[in-house]
Amino acid sequence: MSAAASVPPRARADVDPPVLEHEGSHMELTDELLDKVLQPPRWMRPALVVTFLGSLVLFAAIAYTVTTGIGVWGNNIPVAWAFGITNFVWWIGIGHAGTFISAFLLLLEQQWRTSINRFAEAMTLFAVMQAGLFPLLHMGRPWFFYWLIPYPNTMKVWPQFRSALTWDVAAVMTYFTVSLLFWYLGLVPDLAVVRDRARERWRRRVYAIFALGWRGSAHDWQRWRIGYGLLGGIATPLVVSVHSIVSSDFAIANLPGWHSLVFPPYFVAGAIYSGFAMVLTLMIPARRLYRVEHVITTRHLDSMAKMLLVTGWIVIYSYVIEAWSAWYSGDRFEMYTTLVMRPFGPYAFVYWTVIACNCVTPQLFWWRRARRSAAVLWIASLFVQVGMWAERFMLIVTSQARDFLPSSWRVYRPTVIDGTLLFGTIAFFLFLFLLFLRFVPFIPIAELKELKHRIAVEREDGARA
Amino acid sequence: MRDVIIAELDSPERAVQAARSVRALGYRRVEAFTPFPIPELEDVLGVRRTRLPYLVFFAGLSGAALALLVQWWTNAVDYPIDVGGRPKSSLPTDMLIVFETTVLLAALTAFAAVLVGSRLPRLHDPLFDLPGFERTSLDRFWILIGDAYDDDADVLDEALDLLDGELARLGAVVTRARLPEGRA
Repeated sequence: MSAAASVPPRARADVDPPVLEHEGSHMELTDELLDKVLQPPRWMRPALVVTFLGSLVLFAAIAYTVTTGIGVWGNNIPVAWAFGITNFVWWIGIGHAGTFISAFLLLLEQQWRTSINRFAEAMTLFAVMQAGLFPLLHMGRPWFFYWLIPYPNTMKVWPQFRSALTWDVAAVMTYFTVSLLFWYLGLVPDLAVVRDRARERWRRRVYAIFALGWRGSAHDWQRWRIGYGLLGGIATPLVVSVHSIVSSDFAIANLPGWHSLVFPPYFVAGAIYSGFAMVLTLMIPARRLYRVEHVITTRHLDSMAKMLLVTGWIVIYSYVIEAWSAWYSGDRFEMYTTLVMRPFGPYAFVYWTVIACNCVTPQLFWWRRARRSAAVLWIASLFVQVGMWAERFMLIVTSQARDFLPSSWRVYRPTVIDGTLLFGTIAFFLFLFLLFLRFVPFIPIAELKELKHRIAVEREDGARA
Repeated sequence: MRDVIIAELDSPERAVQAARSVRALGYRRVEAFTPFPIPELEDVLGVRRTRLPYLVFFAGLSGAALALLVQWWTNAVDYPIDVGGRPKSSLPTDMLIVFETTVLLAALTAFAAVLVGSRLPRLHDPLFDLPGFERTSLDRFWILIGDAYDDDADVLDEALDLLDGELARLGAVVTRARLPEGRA
């Protein structure tokens, strides 16, 4: 009778499921992971076509907005920021989980991050791309976006760096660049594997160019390891800074419900929360369709669900503190916006959606069975995303719709173009993500082999001890 | 052209042992090629720790300095904007862009330094022509012994015999190859 079988079942459930369930050789593991790229599944082509058509709808809506003017959106004074900025804040928040998983968890040496980090990083890149669209379009004349960058010009003026809008530019552009570098540096050794394993000559050539001539010598690996770790270390505070800066767009304004010190940590927690939900939304179908449940295991689902629960509670805490500080401020406008207008005003249904999706849903994950059930997690992740979008909408729109003077109150209604842009970016995001799954090894091969080796060494040491 | 000796192994543990034996025999120009990083191997081969972190640190510092300078000069000197009498040069509001620029320059430098340090990007490497090298990204571990042999065939044969005898117990396949002068 083996040792495992003699343990009572109740106690066994407490043992964490393994990070990697693979008994084959390095070659089998590599080929298995490469197959996803070299022999794409049959559903890939129709899925690409559908999401591409969706992206065309986005491009059409963008063309219409740019050629006609942003009057085609529903926002107008007093609600000058509505869907556009809501989508921006939501998308960029989703991006946060990617860097969080790959950088933060890299520094904390969490082994479970290895199989999903590239996946999450790609999600970050594509989410930040969607986010970037909205401030650009919102400018009305996006071709002048470079006016935000300090360059010597004939008008002899400079950007105003005490404005949060210039901080946004610096934060978002830095975030995109650093995420791209981090992702690509991690990818180089794996592109070399595709280069060395592809059968067709043209494919070897193409991947050889992107692999940059990687050889994998001991010197190269050391430099890569240290450089990658440093990028992770640098990216970690960056994640926290980006949404803090985005929240400053609101916090440094004087509107009731915006002018709050709690905003930066509140926004960052929400960002990581929605980002983890997006990773789950994408990861659960992908691991099933690609049959990689032994690489992205129940352990990953379990850990991600715990992260949802933790960040969900930070979000709940932020809601409580927001309400409390509004009351404690004694400011009647703050109190009205936060305690009356949001829960009982014209946007009450948005508020209660937020409470239901963001505060109630994650409580499921106190139960281990819910944490380890892919179906429950997937549906919960959708709820969280809807909830986080609604939260951004609530924060942004309610404060403007009813500020200090009742004579300037106005209820905002989105237009069809607003909705089309939101759904268009979702389609475009999915299209980019499918392209990534199609052409790039989406589970890190070299890192996974290293993990496999390390697990084998640990097991051997354990057996010896 | 110069001759090198290659020992091919099939596991990371054996690669580390083989590298240790080779170094113990007195060979100095030894390099390893592996499918994933093996920090132990770096110690055995005496790979000097890269100075990349210092470079990244100074890149970050210069990013911070640049951002401070640009914000101070544009908003306080060249085109001062009075916002309700607040100071024209104010560190608290400058710090956000200072931080972002620090991160940006540090990250760009880290990325570039990894590539330049490894002589990347390049389209081709003479090593890629060696038969079987493509498996070093898959599941093979190569120890490449590149000490000069003065083009003396006897010395080379002797070294080959010596290494073959030494590494056979690890299941190594020891061969020789010719590489153009230069790297490796």
